[in-house]
Amino acid sequence: MQFASRSYSADSISAVQELYHSNGWTDGLPIVPPTREAVQECLEWVMMPPDQLIGIEPVRGLAITAEKLAINAVMAGCLPMHFPVVVTAWTAMMQDEFLMHGATASTGGCAVLVILNGPIRLEIGASGTFNALANSDRATAVIGRAIRLCLINLLDDRPGVIDRSTLGHPGKFSYCVAEDEEDTTWLPLAEHRGVPKGASSVTVMSAGAPRQLMNEWTTKPEEILETFAAEMRANMRHYSIHPGNYAIVVPKQLREHLQAGGWTKADIATFIHERARIHRREWAEVGKGAVVRDRGDSVYTAMDSPDQLLVIAAGGPAGGFGAVIPPWLGNKSYAVTLPIGVCVDCEPPKK
Amino acid sequence: MFEVLDPTPGTAPPAGRLAPRLDTLEGKTIGFISNGKEGTKGFFRHLDQILREEYGVASVVSRTKSNYSAPADPHIVAEIKGWDAVVSGLGD
Repeated sequence: MQFASRSYSADSISAVQELYHSNGWTDGLPIVPPTREAVQECLEWVMMPPDQLIGIEPVRGLAITAEKLAINAVMAGCLPMHFPVVVTAWTAMMQDEFLMHGATASTGGCAVLVILNGPIRLEIGASGTFNALANSDRATAVIGRAIRLCLINLLDDRPGVIDRSTLGHPGKFSYCVAEDEEDTTWLPLAEHRGVPKGASSVTVMSAGAPRQLMNEWTTKPEEILETFAAEMRANMRHYSIHPGNYAIVVPKQLREHLQAGGWTKADIATFIHERARIHRREWAEVGKGAVVRDRGDSVYTAMDSPDQLLVIAAGGPAGGFGAVIPPWLGNKSYAVTLPIGVCVDCEPPKK
Repeated sequence: MFEVLDPTPGTAPPAGRLAPRLDTLEGKTIGFISNGKEGTKGFFRHLDQILREEYGVASVVSRTKSNYSAPADPHIVAEIKGWDAVVSGLGD
């Protein structure tokens, strides 16, 4: 397999690390050496030649090839079986409505949240239970990291260069969650968003850090969801009133109360849309009186419509916790869902 | 011994080209493209004044992007042809 990338020789594993760190090619953590063999295995897994064009980054006109994604995926620790997810996530991120350049350059400091659905979760060992939003398993850890390394190395999204984040958040190391489809009666997120039943898929969202909440003192769906809505109202008061895609993560303990009450994801979204809204005058209570102006009575909703809420079933089996994941900047960036393996050129590459 | 691959594009992204520099600002039309954030207002107001009063600029055309995180709207880009120079400003 012929690669376009320049190659380097290094005497030892520590020399590899120093080569990559000194060139600014890492996220600060050690990387897996992207050898020709490892990169080739990733490309063969997805049956793509190295120069397969995954897309053109819309703002700066950068061509993103399978070879470069594979190099960064190997560095992140991906195995070949993880690579289709990375390719699909990047294809989704390059859709205009995702506004990748704005989202990844912004002072707002969001990360790319990747949500996995379908059989591929089980094939690669992605877990949507214990510690779902953190180091739950190898697959989600390395896939989320690959997304960031690709941003760093392909878009120059380095701190202080293209990445102008004031704070950022820990999800910028890795931010990937698999939905716990086996332990819920709800439709998988991707199916809810129009992907055919049974298809493996990836959803990407420009996302702030998760805001954890707790309500262990009720079984009533309305009261449980009120806590989620209140956390969204808090985000609107303290951060931004721009409406857009929010995600909520509902672990098993709270999920079972909602499911027992017959609440579907659509019901939940409709309820939350009604409750997650604030008056502009509330900003005066949190130190932002200067921007209330004469519009104190104006009402702002967290989402433009219920279908902007991404409801994710994930989390360990015990604990009355949940999480709200707010958007980077409302409708400036829309979540994108794509099925994996929609192949336009499925001939195996010539060796 | 490891043989490892460069993870960066290796080539510079397509770059724009700077327009020829103006000999003078006197009598010229200058366009401002603001990202629309709060901090742009005072800056561009002041710059407008300096350009007119100290440099004899004939007119200043101010435009604001509809989305401060995205490239300028096509209708603004189309207007640039009618200006002698453009200042693009961020307000963070």
